[in-house]
Amino acid sequence: MSRILIARFAHLGLIAAWRRHPELRNEPVVVGGEPVLRLPVLAASAAAEAAGVRPGQPLRQAQQLCPAAVFVALDGGMTERLRAAALDALCAEAPAVELGDAQACCDISGRHVRHRTEAAWAAAVARALTAALGGEAPSVGVAGSRFVAWTAAGKSAPRHIRRVPPGEEAAFLAPLPIGLLPVDGVVLARLSALGLDCLGAVAGLHPADLQRQFGDDGLVAHRYARGEDDVPVTPESAPRTLAERLILDGPVADREAIRFCARRVCDSLGDRLRRRGLVAERLDLVLECDAGTAATASRVPPVAAGSAEELWPVVLGLLGAAEPVAPVTALRLEASRLGAARGRQVDLWRRGDAARDAVARTVARLGDRFGAQTVLRPRLALDPGDIPERRFSWIPGSAAAEPVPVGSQR
Amino acid sequence: MTVAPAIPTPPPSSLTETVTALQRRFGPAALRRGGDVVSSTAWATGMPAIDGLVAAGGLPCGRLSVLLAGNRGVSGRLTLLQALAAVASRSMQVAYVDLVGTLDPGFLADLGADLDACLVVRPDQLAPGPGLAMARALVRAGVPWLGIAMAPIRRSSAAAMEHAVSALAGAVEGSRAIACVSAPAPLAAPLAYASSLTVECASLGWQEAHGDVVGLRVGMRTLKSKVGAPSGEASLLLRYPRPQAMGEVVGFPAVVGHAGGDLAGLVAPAVAVAG
Repeated sequence: MSRILIARFAHLGLIAAWRRHPELRNEPVVVGGEPVLRLPVLAASAAAEAAGVRPGQPLRQAQQLCPAAVFVALDGGMTERLRAAALDALCAEAPAVELGDAQACCDISGRHVRHRTEAAWAAAVARALTAALGGEAPSVGVAGSRFVAWTAAGKSAPRHIRRVPPGEEAAFLAPLPIGLLPVDGVVLARLSALGLDCLGAVAGLHPADLQRQFGDDGLVAHRYARGEDDVPVTPESAPRTLAERLILDGPVADREAIRFCARRVCDSLGDRLRRRGLVAERLDLVLECDAGTAATASRVPPVAAGSAEELWPVVLGLLGAAEPVAPVTALRLEASRLGAARGRQVDLWRRGDAARDAVARTVARLGDRFGAQTVLRPRLALDPGDIPERRFSWIPGSAAAEPVPVGSQR
Repeated sequence: MTVAPAIPTPPPSSLTETVTALQRRFGPAALRRGGDVVSSTAWATGMPAIDGLVAAGGLPCGRLSVLLAGNRGVSGRLTLLQALAAVASRSMQVAYVDLVGTLDPGFLADLGADLDACLVVRPDQLAPGPGLAMARALVRAGVPWLGIAMAPIRRSSAAAMEHAVSALAGAVEGSRAIACVSAPAPLAAPLAYASSLTVECASLGWQEAHGDVVGLRVGMRTLKSKVGAPSGEASLLLRYPRPQAMGEVVGFPAVVGHAGGDLAGLVAPAVAVAG
């Protein structure tokens, strides 16, 4: 049984404008730029919308509709930071998240280990989103389908959650106007002309009748009116890289101090990876030096790292490999080749198999500390010849061993 | 009617509190009551000669077991350690700390080891300190089977090794790993103290067939056992594996044994599983 949560909030560009100009909080605000520009309205505050301003209108038309409105340009940097914060907060609470400019969609099907009930889970999501948006409380709707959840969120108030119990989607939608249906305006006009004034009336018709009249649009309208749309939550695509940079107060030459700063950067990056459910298959460390030069080191960890604890042994190795020629002024740690963190089926018949990743990380760390030739794995040579010493070869111990089922013949 | 004089005993609560405080400060193994049963699970090696040496039925988990050379020269302890590592590698990951520098992975493969499951640790200059530190790190990470081939330790460095051995014993106990150490005689004091099971291996002579040496007869004796009552002596035949040709499937090590008996019944060719 699918359960979808939709949170509707003010446009991120509008929230960014409010952060920069708090005095405009209750004023009519239009985001998009100066009215002289031939650009569309990106977002409008509630006061501006009350005057008839809608997103997509030309800015000049918005000025005619609401002469008292304040026109501000979109703050791209702040908007992206808000988006990243909201995405991090939501990904920490829900397995699949889709974030738009003015709404967020989360899949909260099943059970959550920390939240016993669906209402508690939805409240946690709403709280996390409110905190990420700097106190902007969203209106939240929870239902079995996306359209019903979106409608429920619209019927809810900020700081409130409207839940539609499973199986009651059609009853919830029945009294609502047909203007909510996401179909062509011509279809809506003809439905009104036929005397169908609410979604319940559309849902009561036979789908074949609607298909005869409106074709595929009729079937879509009937499905939406019954709350049976099956539009899934499309998770946000993972970023290609995540990086953390720490600028030091002054040039630092002490290795222990650099190590301490690297730990801070590592903790921060690991926290971001963990909250997004990502793992990094490559790490790069850049030590920016006082003389304008930089010492770099990169490494592919034996097991993809997705938390600060998993990153730290790799970062220690990077610190040993990078050799700055002058005092360090800034550190930059970049995680690349990001992918979704996935579980691994443990070989239940092989004792200690659950610790395989931890062992691989430890072996890599020992290689950094004691030398690459200290922990090794033997491999039988394919063509040994007659010399006994050529029967095998050594490979680094951190090289991932193929998981082999117990009892298989080699 | 006579009344037995009352024996002055300290209040049980204060004794219990003292024992608890000492265990909290120095570790749970620092102080035990004589009647306390020390729970210890065992890993059955599949070799009756070894499994029968202790009442637990195999090498104890979470403890250090020591295979000690009983005499100078050949004792078979290293071959036995490698045979045990080969058996373990078939079902779990194995770390072999080679502080002697004599490990031949080809020989290990001939014994039937799954080399993909074997990690070999060879510290720089075969120094025991770094070797034991690496062994400890691997055990803490979760390696379930650890084998250490120790070289003779100079008397001057024995004291420095005490911390490394005690830390390793603590790590082994914490992760419930199986740790087997092969050590030459005389046994270094730190290792003798940390060992829970010490088995002395002594050569009883070569096993020959058609004029060729095909194995070594080894006598085993339990010198120390903190995991159960020892069961006397045992002897086993370490049959050297026949070098396998490429493409031939190797099987389990050809180690046959017999607890507490003579070797009369063991001279017969051991069955080497192949194919």
